[in-house]
Amino acid sequence: MNPLELTLGIMTAVGGFVDISELVFAAKAGSKFGYALIWVFALSTIGIIVFSEMCGRVAATAKQPVFSLMRHRLGLKLGLATLAASFVANLITCAAELGGVALVINYLTGAPYMLMAVVLTLLIVLSIWVLPFQWIERTYGLLGLFMITFAAALVAIHPPWGHIAGGFVPQVPHGLSKKELLTFGYFVVAIVSAVMFPYEVYFYSSGGIEEGWGPKDVLTNRLTALIGMGLGSTLAISILANSAQMFEPANVDPAIPGSAALQAAIPFGKWGLILALMGMFFAVAGAAVETCLANAYSIAQFFGWVWGRHKKPWEAPRFTITWIAIFAIALAIVLTGIDVMTLVEFAILFSILVLPLTYLPLLLLANDRKYMREYVNGALAKALGWFYFAVITLAALAALPLYLLTSGGNG
Amino acid sequence: MLRRSPLILLLLAGCSKGPEADLQYIGQARSLGAEWALVNEQANKGQLTATYVHSMRQWLRDGLTTTASSLTQPDSRYGAEICTLLAEPDDAAPDELRVHVGRLKQIEDSLESA
Amino acid sequence: MRPDSPIKLVSELLDLPLLDVEGDYCGVVDDVEFKGGPGKELELKALLVGPGAYRTRLPRWGMWFVTKLAGDRVARVPIDKVRSVSSAVHLECAARDLGLHKSEAAAAKWLPRWGAL
Repeated sequence: MNPLELTLGIMTAVGGFVDISELVFAAKAGSKFGYALIWVFALSTIGIIVFSEMCGRVAATAKQPVFSLMRHRLGLKLGLATLAASFVANLITCAAELGGVALVINYLTGAPYMLMAVVLTLLIVLSIWVLPFQWIERTYGLLGLFMITFAAALVAIHPPWGHIAGGFVPQVPHGLSKKELLTFGYFVVAIVSAVMFPYEVYFYSSGGIEEGWGPKDVLTNRLTALIGMGLGSTLAISILANSAQMFEPANVDPAIPGSAALQAAIPFGKWGLILALMGMFFAVAGAAVETCLANAYSIAQFFGWVWGRHKKPWEAPRFTITWIAIFAIALAIVLTGIDVMTLVEFAILFSILVLPLTYLPLLLLANDRKYMREYVNGALAKALGWFYFAVITLAALAALPLYLLTSGGNG
Repeated sequence: MLRRSPLILLLLAGCSKGPEADLQYIGQARSLGAEWALVNEQANKGQLTATYVHSMRQWLRDGLTTTASSLTQPDSRYGAEICTLLAEPDDAAPDELRVHVGRLKQIEDSLESA
Repeated sequence: MRPDSPIKLVSELLDLPLLDVEGDYCGVVDDVEFKGGPGKELELKALLVGPGAYRTRLPRWGMWFVTKLAGDRVARVPIDKVRSVSSAVHLECAARDLGLHKSEAAAAKWLPRWGAL
């Protein structure tokens, strides 16, 4: 195991953890419910670590990415249904990320939102065309480390650490009205969805193949998932805690993504603001890349096309055309003028509905000794895998009713 | 530029009209006003860049305008309060804005406990 | 698994990705072709690759969607070209020998061949 590789892998995971949906929901969660939702972030992070480690292990041992094997396990009809559903969910998420990136540039430079959406999409497309896979991942991931500004802001405002620690204990706040209780339930579901977005699994598993992982990388994979995502979640939790400290007393329920940057401006001034916005830019741009490529991976792998950015773009032509087309469609959605917050809400909703379909084949594959040989799920991985599958299934069932009853968490 | 999705509006059209249905918009307006006040407060302290302040004020005002136009009862007390809030200049004093926020919060709380 | 060993169920073979001798993806096993018929012994003759092979496996509206996205070509891979089967079907020859490269080559015409590191 190469320590430099491992460090870079971990740092990339940290910088790339937060996307626009987590940013928005972490800020709202803190302002609405104080520290009471921290445990949901922690719980969901363990879930994504479990599944990421599993799908990295599947990629390294079976040498096939999850979606290729998914079609084999689910069959054509169910595989196609999963493809269609996850495509829609990832596409909406991609559009939300593109909109988010354009917004951040607007906050930083004042440049017009729609124009920036077009320009930034072109730049992102160019970056994927020009850079090899590892550089793409590393660039966005490492530059996303500017998000540490939010963690630094939390330390700087001397929050009640005891209360924050208390937030890690699973709880439902006392004295909530029926409507507030439903809203709390919606936030639980939304956070589970945002942290465990389906695109992460597809991207991570295909990324493993792109990087040529083999059985020798199983430990690297485990450590990257555990430490990288674990530390990454502290950034999301910092945003939540900052919100609880700074926004809740001010009656702010952040309705626009830009308000999150105030968390760094209040303790640090202009430089804090700029660093926070830069962190948001790279983290969200990275997420746009991942959601788009995840979709392109799924489609190419489903139909058996040559795929991967470890090849030159013209060596995997249908794959290349697919990811460019997906960016074009996502951009078109942004250019309809639809509110980024609305896109985030829909991304969350569609993703949680797709999540059980996404994770079930992965779980079945990782439990299958025929593919996994000695790397098959042990007792712990099996138990955790099924536990989290139950969690996401419950969340998926509750999502639509809660969304409607709480007007998307705004009620 | 900001537009609420038609789907959300359709879903909400199923709900009854009046203060109950407007509760979420009152909450949104309250929050947008509070964010505006926070931005102005921090801007006055020199904690923010000029471009950020300008952009945020534009987006917040857009949001308030959309919220105001979504009300089922725009001629109500809260409708008038939101209009007064919108009439404030971009660089209004934070305390002035918070007066409106406070009133909206009161209306919000009284409707929620009803 | 070797192509001449008994395959208990066709489901072990269906929907596996195909890798040619150079290790490149060249499709998925979309359907299989048998020799023989009712009352006679069934022998696996060929693998069918391409979305056109879905016709027997999907309802009509599903087929319409797939055709729009991926076309409806079918290529035939005789069973003697299969070297081994594990988590993928490994072929003995290159993709272009079996005509499995056509769609990819057609798509490549749309893309410039420069600029990538």
